[in-house]
Amino acid sequence: MAEANVTPSRGAQPTGSRKILMQLVTGGEVGVIAALVLLTLVFWLMEPAFLSQRNVRAILAVVSFVGIIAIGQTILMVAGEFDLSVGSVAGLSAVVAAKLMTAAALPVPLAVLGGLGVGLGLGLVNGLVVVRLGIPAFIQTLGVLFVGQGLIQVVTGGYPVYPLPEAVSAFGRANLVWGLGWSFVFFLAALLVADFVLRRTVVGRNMYATGGNREVARLVGINTNRYKIAAFMTVGGLASVAGMFVMADMATATTTVGSGWELTVIAGVVVGGVSLFGGAGTVIGGVIGILLLRVVQSGLVIIGVDANWQQIAVGVIMVLAVGIDILRRRYIASGRTA
Amino acid sequence: MSEFAIETREVTKSFAGIQALRGVDLAVRRGDIHALLGQNGAGKSTLVKIMNGVYPAGRYGGQILLDGKPASFRSTDDARRGGVGYVPQEIEVLDQLTVAENVFAGHMGLGRALVDRAEVVRRTAGIFAEMGVAINPNAVVAALRGAQRHLVMIARAISAKPSVLMLDEPTSSLSAQEVTALFAVLRRLKAQGKTIIYITHRLPEVLDICDRATVLRDGRVGDEFDRADFDQDRFIYAMSGHRLQQLFPARADAPRDRVMLEVAGLTVPGHTGAIHGARDVSFQVRAGEILGLAGLLGSGRSEILHGIYGRSPATGTIRVDGQALRIASPAEARAAGIALLTEDRKHDGLLFNQTIGANITIGNLSALSTRGILRPERERSAILTALRELSVKAPSPTASPAQLSGGNQQKLLFARVLMRMPRILLLDEPTKGVDAATRAEIYRLIVELAGQGVALVIVSSELEEVIGLSDRVLTVADGRIVGGFARGEGDEERVMRDVAQAQARDLAAVQAG
Ligand SMILES: Nc1ncnc2c1ncn2[C@@H]1O[C@H](COP(=O)(O)OP(=O)(O)OP(=O)(O)O)[C@@H](O)[C@H]1O
Ligand SMILES: [Mg+2]
Repeated sequence: MAEANVTPSRGAQPTGSRKILMQLVTGGEVGVIAALVLLTLVFWLMEPAFLSQRNVRAILAVVSFVGIIAIGQTILMVAGEFDLSVGSVAGLSAVVAAKLMTAAALPVPLAVLGGLGVGLGLGLVNGLVVVRLGIPAFIQTLGVLFVGQGLIQVVTGGYPVYPLPEAVSAFGRANLVWGLGWSFVFFLAALLVADFVLRRTVVGRNMYATGGNREVARLVGINTNRYKIAAFMTVGGLASVAGMFVMADMATATTTVGSGWELTVIAGVVVGGVSLFGGAGTVIGGVIGILLLRVVQSGLVIIGVDANWQQIAVGVIMVLAVGIDILRRRYIASGRTA
Repeated sequence: MSEFAIETREVTKSFAGIQALRGVDLAVRRGDIHALLGQNGAGKSTLVKIMNGVYPAGRYGGQILLDGKPASFRSTDDARRGGVGYVPQEIEVLDQLTVAENVFAGHMGLGRALVDRAEVVRRTAGIFAEMGVAINPNAVVAALRGAQRHLVMIARAISAKPSVLMLDEPTSSLSAQEVTALFAVLRRLKAQGKTIIYITHRLPEVLDICDRATVLRDGRVGDEFDRADFDQDRFIYAMSGHRLQQLFPARADAPRDRVMLEVAGLTVPGHTGAIHGARDVSFQVRAGEILGLAGLLGSGRSEILHGIYGRSPATGTIRVDGQALRIASPAEARAAGIALLTEDRKHDGLLFNQTIGANITIGNLSALSTRGILRPERERSAILTALRELSVKAPSPTASPAQLSGGNQQKLLFARVLMRMPRILLLDEPTKGVDAATRAEIYRLIVELAGQGVALVIVSSELEEVIGLSDRVLTVADGRIVGGFARGEGDEERVMRDVAQAQARDLAAVQAG
């Protein structure tokens, strides 16, 4: 074979612009971050009030509640499962904690532990049922979603629980950083810890292996059942924390705390590149996805778009994000650079 | 009609900057069985994927000529319609469907609108009968082992009655009997005037059935041979640029006296379909000993390994270094110092969501971390060492294992099981898809491990390999041990004879009962 034949034919070498494109599409979170920056700029140009302190603070406050759950959901999805009951669990934990500190007159810390116990307990139940009985997470957690909603009504009789002890409302009012409270601080801390765990620890690596191929993970000695159960409990625990933060924030435990969160959370983390099929995604990505959806909703409000259109926008963005992600994967897998 | 059934002209292909093919001119004469040889990563699979529409027209440079006329396939279905059949190296079966449904997947109607299941099953059985394999067309594919899945893929390609059939390492997990049956099928296709492109690392097979051979080297045609010039050493030289001294290294030291693994009365339940489990299997392996398990596909060799490793539920006693253990899970087996190399890379070997490096270190992270926190620099150097020791051809440690050629994927798995230096190493098809030069390296590695006192159990569908490597060979048939001999005291014929006798006894027992 003559050396001259080495010259590749047209298109055989990736061109410069193609290389940059490749890097963009292959780098996990870069796409979402770019979209986030772009959308923020667009909304700001259309309506400078979008980046007003008040609005930014409002966005961050909401993101901190939902984001706490998104952290857990990301971990669970990395391990190859997902949880639809997070909204119910958040709400149930809030009303249980509230009842414990009012009707049962328990000290606040004990009542909070009670609320946390609800989340961890339901997470454990979800995990055990999915792992041991082999019932799909979709069915099991959907079941708990309904059961939880029912229990909220049973516990509260349908009325909001208030007034709560002064300590709770003071906690909810606390201004720690730039007008943001404890929930935001907790959110940031949990974000850093979870991201570190997934990225840099043995537990994190094993989590990805479990979600990537459960049989392979089992064969290399990973107790995949334990990892999945632990992930379910993490989501449950974080959901209850988020629920109780909302309770403190409003100084009331209403029966609607957490309702609808399950879909917001899943839509958000999926937009952030966390795979529904397991084994792929990062906590930072998941949280940025949540932030992105929130920015869109808030931006549409600020530029005066009708509420119905906000829903439509969220739906379209989610499908687009997942679609782009699937195309990206296919592109990488096929090495389609001719 | 052109003299050549299929040709490539100046075919080039690169992946994200890696040049896999650098201008390949291949001409395959009509009615030939044409061997495509080359080391791992030489570009063989890439070339046949281009000829099959896996990489559609426009995704590669150069041209394909089918029967002398330019052809451009947009998809594998397109190629299938054009009379080009393909059996990929990595098996891609639909797990939840039956064998028959897999064979006719996408063509269940057999050209009609309604599906006639009975007819599909009948035709599948017909193809299997022709291939000489015993797989139940109604079995669910999930229950089949690697090699049987491969046979299903081959049947699928044959079912479309292609005029050019390309087989990418079809025999890498088949044992002698299935290979013989497959060759009979290939010869029949050849007699019908069909053209076959045949990729293999098993050079004796090339001497056996091929008419011409093209050797790829680093994405180029390195050499071409006519049947008259066929010679294994010349093939190896053309592929690697080296001469191979000796395939099986001599054992410097004898096995120790200490019994490292003792299995007594091991019974492993079988799967649905055509597989027998292991029945009442007993044997010992001493430290530093290499024990080979020979037998046919589906005879229960893999099941014995799975039973020991805690992968399948098993009864019986297992002693490791004299201590009776109850091994209920792979985690417990690993804790006891046992490691298993599985047979099916795609299904239960690689993690495609992880990097090449993480695929090596997964399960071995305790040594690369402090208090559960990974030490990136330690991990990185362990990965680089492993990649170097096994000379894995990889673009980078952070690339995906999907980007590796089949043989290099196999080396990754080897690196994984070796990282923790097991006391007992169970190897299921250790050289599956590995090229001749690397194969010799792996043999050297195995003998070296034995020299260090590791007890090894090897399952291989290649009798030559089992017999050449092992200090002792046990013949397995129908889940039981039916014979055995020490190094130098038996040969391939003896194994086949033991198997045949066992089968005859079973048959007699059935008829008597
Ligand atoms: N999807 C992909 N992305 C990136 N690189 C790839 C991809 N597929 C193949 N390669 C690279 O192209 C080269 C040729 O690979 P190919 O699979 O054709 O080798 P092969 O000759 O079939 O080897 P083996 O005998 O091991 O199967 C290798 O260096 C491989 O790493
Ligand atoms: Mg190949």
